[in-house]
This record gives sequence, C-alpha cells and structure tokens, in this order.
Amino acid sequence: MDRRRIPGPETSVSPIIERSEDAKETPTLGEGDKRHDGRKVEDIRPIFLKTGLITQANGSAYIELCETKIACAIYGPRQTKLPAFSGKGNLNCDFKFASFSCAKRRSNHRDPQEKEFSQLLYEALVPSLRLDLLPKSTIDVYVSVIQNDGTASCLAAAITCASMALTDAGIEMVDQVAACAASYINDEIFIDGDFFEEQRESGSIVLSYMPSLNEITHIIQSGEVDVATTSQAVELCVDVCSKIYSVMRHSLLEPVKKQ
Amino acid sequence: MQTLISHSERDYILRGVESNLRADGRGRLDYRQVTFETGVISQCSGSARCRLGEGTDVLVGVKVEIGQIEFDGAEEVVGSKKAKWGRVVCNVECSPIASRQFAGRGAEDYNNELTQIMELIFNGPQAGIDLEKLCIVPGDKCWVVYVDALVLDYAGNILDTIFLTTRAALYNTRVPKTVVQEVEGMMEIEVLDDVQEAERIVGWEQIPIAVTLNKIGSRHVIDATPLEELATEAKLLVSVNKRGKICGIQKSGEGSIEPSLLNEMIQKILEALDVRLQQEEEVLANSSRGGAEVGQINIQKLGFFAAT
Repeated sequence: MDRRRIPGPETSVSPIIERSEDAKETPTLGEGDKRHDGRKVEDIRPIFLKTGLITQANGSAYIELCETKIACAIYGPRQTKLPAFSGKGNLNCDFKFASFSCAKRRSNHRDPQEKEFSQLLYEALVPSLRLDLLPKSTIDVYVSVIQNDGTASCLAAAITCASMALTDAGIEMVDQVAACAASYINDEIFIDGDFFEEQRESGSIVLSYMPSLNEITHIIQSGEVDVATTSQAVELCVDVCSKIYSVMRHSLLEPVKKQ
Repeated sequence: MQTLISHSERDYILRGVESNLRADGRGRLDYRQVTFETGVISQCSGSARCRLGEGTDVLVGVKVEIGQIEFDGAEEVVGSKKAKWGRVVCNVECSPIASRQFAGRGAEDYNNELTQIMELIFNGPQAGIDLEKLCIVPGDKCWVVYVDALVLDYAGNILDTIFLTTRAALYNTRVPKTVVQEVEGMMEIEVLDDVQEAERIVGWEQIPIAVTLNKIGSRHVIDATPLEELATEAKLLVSVNKRGKICGIQKSGEGSIEPSLLNEMIQKILEALDVRLQQEEEVLANSSRGGAEVGQINIQKLGFFAAT
C-alpha cells in the first residue's frame, strides 16, 4: 500500500468551530456566601512566609499564598554604579515572572508589564526606607514569581515579600509595608482574589500600607467602580494589611525566639 | 529623568502652596487655560491636540486597523465574552524635542510608565467604548483602536493633558463601515471607503478623563508646573467618567499618603473632574469635523507650532 498518498476526498471543508453560548458559568459566590475555594469574601488565603532562604543574598524572603509562590532577594547596600552623585541611596527593583509561571508562556525578556510592576514595587517600598542614610549606594531588590495565581494579588504578595526581605537584610526603615489586593465582582469586593476570580472581575485594587505609621504607600485601581465602593475597598484593604502585618511580624520573631 | 531642585526653591514652592498662591498666580486647585484642536492629522482616523497654558503640548492620533481578536489564556466562559471584543492599544511617546529630560534611555521607562497608566484606563470595558461594536467577525477579526500620544512640549502635568486630548481624539475618530461575506467557508471582509458612511466610536461619551493631584507638604495642588512636580512627594491620579464612576486610580512618586487624606484627595479630584468634563463637552460640541476648532480663547493660527 502506498502510504504517501492520503486517501481523502478531493475537496474538503474545514470545520466551523462554534463556542457554546450556554457554557455554565460557575458562580463566584456559592452556598452560605462561600467562594469557590471555601473562603468568605473578606478572607485572605493562608500565608506562608519565611525569610533567609537564599544563602548568597544579604536578605531574602519567600511567600506562598496557596498557588501563588514568590521569592525575593536583596543584594546591597553596595557602592552605586551610576555616574551621577546622589545624596540618597538608590533602590533598584526588578520584578520578573518566570516564563512558566503564568497560564500563557512569558518570554524571558523583560516585558512592559514587568517593567510597570518593577516601578510599582519601587513606589510602594520607597516611602518606608531611610534611603537618606545610604548616600552613593544602591540596593537591589529582585523579585521572582515562580507561580502566578492572580496577577493583582501576585503584585501585592510581591510587595509584602520584598518588604520582608528588606527587613531581613537589615536595611533601615520607618515601617514595614504590607500589601493587599481585591477584586470587584458584581459590585462586591473579593479580598485577595485568585486567578479564577480575576477572570471574572470587573476591576481590581492593589493597596500597600504601613500599619504602624498609618500611611498608604501605594494604590492602583482598575475598572469602573463607584466612589463609595472604592472607599469601602480602601478601608477593607487597610484592615487586611494590618492582618498581614501581624503574620509578617510573627514570621520575623519566630526564628529569633527559637534560638 | 530626574532633575534636581534646590532647597530654597523647594521651600519657596512649599510656602506658596501653603498660602494658596503659586508662582504663576494660581490658587491650589486652579487649572491653566486649555486650548483644543481636533482633526489636525489627516493620516489618522481621528486626532486632537491640546495645549495647557503656554506650555504642555500633546498631540494624540487615533488609527483604527483590522486585527486579530485576543482571548487566549482565558477559560471558555470568559473567553466566549472576550471573543466578541475589539481592542484598544495605547502608546505614549515623550519626544526629546519637548524637554532635555526625555532624551536618552531614561525616557523609555517614563514612556512605559505613562503607557501603562493609559492601558490601565483604556484597555477594557471601563473605557466606555463599546468593544462589541468594534468586533467584525466574532472569534477572529476586530477593529483595533491604536491611541498614540506624542508630547511635543513639556510644562508639567502631562498625564491630565494626555487624557483630555485622547478623549477629544476619540470623539473625532471615525470607524469605516465593513461588509462581511461568507465565501466558500471563509469570511471575507470588505471595508467601505465612503467617508460619509464612517461612524463615530460607540460610547465615546463615557470615555473617562483623569486629574492628578500633587501632594506638596500637607496640601495638594492641581495642574503642577515642572518645578512643582519636582517638589511633589506623592501624586495621585484618579480617572472618572460622565456617570461619576471611578475608572482607575494610581499613586506615583516616592511619598506616602494617609488614608483620610486619600479620601479627601479623591473627593477634590471628583469635583475638579466634573467641571473639566463639562468644559470639554462644550468645546467639542461646538467643533465641527476637519476644521481647526478651538475652545475657550480665540487664537490666530500661524503654523503648527503657533497656537497661541
């Protein structure tokens, strides 16, 4: 038999793919106001936070919120390579998604979103640091996302993680920064939304906050939202940030107590 | 990108802001005069140019092109909705002719920052544009609205001006009509050349604009000049549409804001935006297609760069 020949019809028509209209929408809120993973709307995912896991870095931290996994390392303060003199220290943030971390593969080049997140990370962290004590020096903050389960909550976790790593590196700061994300779905605020909820959201907010000083270091919101809902979300996020702060403090003190 | 400011200059600005009198005679919440012009670039589907006082000059060109619908990475339930959506793509470029600080590689980061803020507000249903109306063949082809902003002159407050100009440019934009035919199982799209047939973007009324508040000391100012921007600790950009809904918030700068001050700032911005939107609508309503129509002041046009 001649295998090179394809015994098919001479004319063929490619199938028309139709997406089913009535695909069942999984409700974002199930029985007893439980979310798809059993949380309530104001609950965050359980946090695992640990410092000092990277041996070569001056300070490091690792955060895990269920499927979200982020590592951060601090190198420095060291002499700056920039030619211009600066009386203040220079904070260099580098946010990176691992190429396998998202639903779609990311290229290993720095894409615009990573550049934006680096900038946001910088703006969220810099109000907490005493960079005026470190003239002519640079601190490098490298954040690496190993697994991403919801981009907004991923950014929030990265800010929290980076602040922990800076603490671990012993950089002088006025306060730690805790960050929290929320999704707006059907006019309701879902704290710490994951990928599933992010797909269904109409907007989101990421807020970073210094709990002891009661200052917001960064805020970014997307989507069309009521003014009242916005201020409600800001309040909620501030509360949640205080909760995250207690986790941060706990995980800093725990290793010291053991010694 | 960073330029320096002396301690005495910073102090001068700080005290001025404290006593509600700025270097150019304005109060804390006063805007500079705005000059609009629509339909300035004939190569575009829509364009607008906006000048702020004697300084900031922004040109926005909108081009609509047929492109692929993007909905990969989404689950089917969500994907089926996105398969019917057109797209908006934004880009901001600060030309080095505007200011020396836009020269070289430092400007790249700044351009990217501005572009990402534009994307935050325009890329999605919150931009007001009816994305389903931009769809040509569901799941395959759609109109892609490319919004390109070019900063020609810099005298502070670029972002607000970009948003103002973008709204005017999108108002000015006409999308050509298309006829879709099924030929032997393939979809064939025919774009009608007739200019009269071309339609305005559906939902342009709800396109948001934005106002930035600059926190200087414990006060905040609107429409900052370059020197005031250097003295700024933190900036807050809030974007609002005609329905009075917030379409985006972003803080930038190196300072922090107290939660109560944040609420106050958002309220101040909302009030300012309401006035802005009304002013712009009036100007746009008076303008006609093609002609150089200018709001607020009568200007004598001598050339592209002589608007005042």
